[in-house]
Amino acid sequence: MKNGIKALLAVAAIGALSLSGCASTMQYGDAGSAKPISTEFGSSDLQQIAESMVDSMIVFPPIVEMTSSRRPVVSVDKVKNKTMQHIDTESITDSIRAKLLRSGKFRFIDRTTDAQTIEELKIQQDSGLVDKKSAVQFGQQLGAEFLLTSNFSEIRQKAGSTTDVYYKFTMSLKNLKTGILEWSDEKEIRKVFTRGTFGG
Amino acid sequence: MKQERNFVVGCIAAAAAIAALGLVGCSTTAGVETTGKTTWDEQGARSLEKKVIFNNSGLAGDIQIVDVKSAMAGDILRVQATLRSKDKDTLPFQYRFEWYDAGGFEINSGSGSWKPLMLNGRETKTIQAVAPDPRAKEFKLKIREPD
Repeated sequence: MKNGIKALLAVAAIGALSLSGCASTMQYGDAGSAKPISTEFGSSDLQQIAESMVDSMIVFPPIVEMTSSRRPVVSVDKVKNKTMQHIDTESITDSIRAKLLRSGKFRFIDRTTDAQTIEELKIQQDSGLVDKKSAVQFGQQLGAEFLLTSNFSEIRQKAGSTTDVYYKFTMSLKNLKTGILEWSDEKEIRKVFTRGTFGG
Repeated sequence: MKQERNFVVGCIAAAAAIAALGLVGCSTTAGVETTGKTTWDEQGARSLEKKVIFNNSGLAGDIQIVDVKSAMAGDILRVQATLRSKDKDTLPFQYRFEWYDAGGFEINSGSGSWKPLMLNGRETKTIQAVAPDPRAKEFKLKIREPD
């Protein structure tokens, strides 16, 4: 039976060796990875939403026609987050805005940096340091022609060991002058988690 | 004595099984690549050259790229690929599009993200993508098993 014990030890050794390949490691991951970790809102969900919205918008025929000769000025509204989660929704709209800007079809107004803009203009106007000829005057910024609005909601269902989460992101482009929605689309994502019999 | 030998054989098999499990847990996957290049002739007619490369024979047995087509939305390139599952079970895949300008330089290099795709048994599905900007003239579609 001594051989038996040796064989058992060998099994343990080989097992340990092969498993050690999966021991704690630290490495850089792929920023574009689509591996879901949980049903919570994740990076891949954000990327899917942003790409889907931008793709839909820049190929919509009336938008193609409108942007063929000019680059309309757009303002981005805050996302109405109706999910139960704390999500940095500004990060979603930032991604969408960056992609739309890089497509060369739109220009944007950024209301989040208005305080800094006013401060800079005040310095240019009042400090006496800046040449009056090159100082930027107040009241010369362009007004936005369109407003990009969005809604984000989730439906969460749980039964036994299964958690099913459905996300829906809806975005619309509103013409500020006429009040008409020029474009709208939604992206749906479903994530299903089933708890295994073993482990957490 | 015979019993002991059986025990040893059993142990070796178990070790192999554990080793295989351990390795599978950390495996990485290669994938399928499709490239397409859009060109214009003297009359201004647009055509698409395409090429499919399989880097993973296992994946080649699971998925088939039936068709690749492209169109222009204004000055922006749009691509659609039709995929067919060769398997009878539902299989998860991931895909990503990369875009290149006329000179072959990648646009927004490395910024593309993988998108999940579920193919039911023997199902045919289309996936679409839109180029990030008007410079894009070539694309590469990559398909892989989930990481």
